[in-house]
Amino acid sequence: MCRLLDYSKGLGFMTISPDVLFSVAGFPVTNTVVSTVFVDVILAFVAFFVSKTASLKPTRFQNVLEIIVDYFHSTTSEIAGKKVDFIYPWVLTFFLFILISNFIGELPGFEEAFTVSTKNSQEVSLFRTVASDLNFTLAIAVISVVLAMLKSIKYIGIKGYISRFISFKMFPIFLFVGTLEFINEFTKVVGLSFRLFGNMFAGSSVIETVYHSIAFLIVPVPFVALELMIAVIQAMVFAMLTMAFMHIMTENADH
Amino acid sequence: MEMLNIFGLKPSLFLFQVINFLIIFLILKKFMIVPLKKIFNERERKIKQSMQDAEEAKIALANAKKEKDRIIHQAQISANVLVADTKLSVEKARESAFQDIKEKTTHILSDAKQKAEMEFQTAQKEIGQMSVELSGKLITKILSDLFSDDEKQKLINRALEKINETRTN
Repeated sequence: MCRLLDYSKGLGFMTISPDVLFSVAGFPVTNTVVSTVFVDVILAFVAFFVSKTASLKPTRFQNVLEIIVDYFHSTTSEIAGKKVDFIYPWVLTFFLFILISNFIGELPGFEEAFTVSTKNSQEVSLFRTVASDLNFTLAIAVISVVLAMLKSIKYIGIKGYISRFISFKMFPIFLFVGTLEFINEFTKVVGLSFRLFGNMFAGSSVIETVYHSIAFLIVPVPFVALELMIAVIQAMVFAMLTMAFMHIMTENADH
Repeated sequence: MEMLNIFGLKPSLFLFQVINFLIIFLILKKFMIVPLKKIFNERERKIKQSMQDAEEAKIALANAKKEKDRIIHQAQISANVLVADTKLSVEKARESAFQDIKEKTTHILSDAKQKAEMEFQTAQKEIGQMSVELSGKLITKILSDLFSDDEKQKLINRALEKINETRTN
């Protein structure tokens, strides 16, 4: 197991891969899986709460949610036009999931307070920032790109979609452009997943290092504030890029 | 494969995250996004309806104001006409009453005059009669001592004739 930070005993040491807590029928339950379920519970609770209490006269909580939903709806509407109803629920879900998981990861003591012993008698954190697991960031990046691809196929058809990558017009220029486009589909996934993963993993590492080395109460505050800002920015960047990809992939069909 | 192990990439974990995200998407869409969108639409509809109602109310108010002004104007005209008619009627009534009173007064005066004339004539007749009777009695009384019965009778007759002549004249 690769240790990114392994200063010494008592200092922070965070592995790039999530720690496996236990296995269920061969499925490795890692601390990011536990955190993911925790985030799921929060989001599901919020969703059920909204469905039960939503009214025309909003509460403060509903107001906050309405601001977020309305922001994404109007922004998507400005960019994607008629495709807004398909795109914005996805974009909003990406944003909320990443934001909540990042925020929870930045809670003081989230990763340090709860530890469990593994089979190897190793003490590991019960929770870990979800986005510091490449499995998660890669999964949502793949979903984002595949959605854009499916939407593109729906708009321009499978033939039109393939012709984006393989075209013999003005040979060999468009074939070369098509090849670049094809590579671009993979770089999108890599870019989206590693950007989020890198930022959140680095942030978590910094916070953990600060807590373990120069810790206490006041010193980590600026770092946590910075990480909270990064958490929002990264959630926003991922959501906006997804929106842009979906729009661009379907926009070409219009021309 | 080494790289995949370094980053902890495992197909099962990757698949778990994909399925988990899709489930969360469905939950959020069904229980949060759609209800909030419905509320947005309903609110927008109500705002539009309210704006429309307000606009209609504004138009109705303007119409009502116009109608009020028209009614007041018409009422003013009617009132003026009524006042003028009333004045005219009063004037006519006054004129008529005055004429009536005048006629009645003339009639009363005429009646009174006639009655007075008749009274006067009756009184004159009665006075004449009385004066004749008195004159007769006086003459009878005076002459009874101076003349004989024949002479008295002649004188009386003559006097009576004279008196009658005077009366008739």
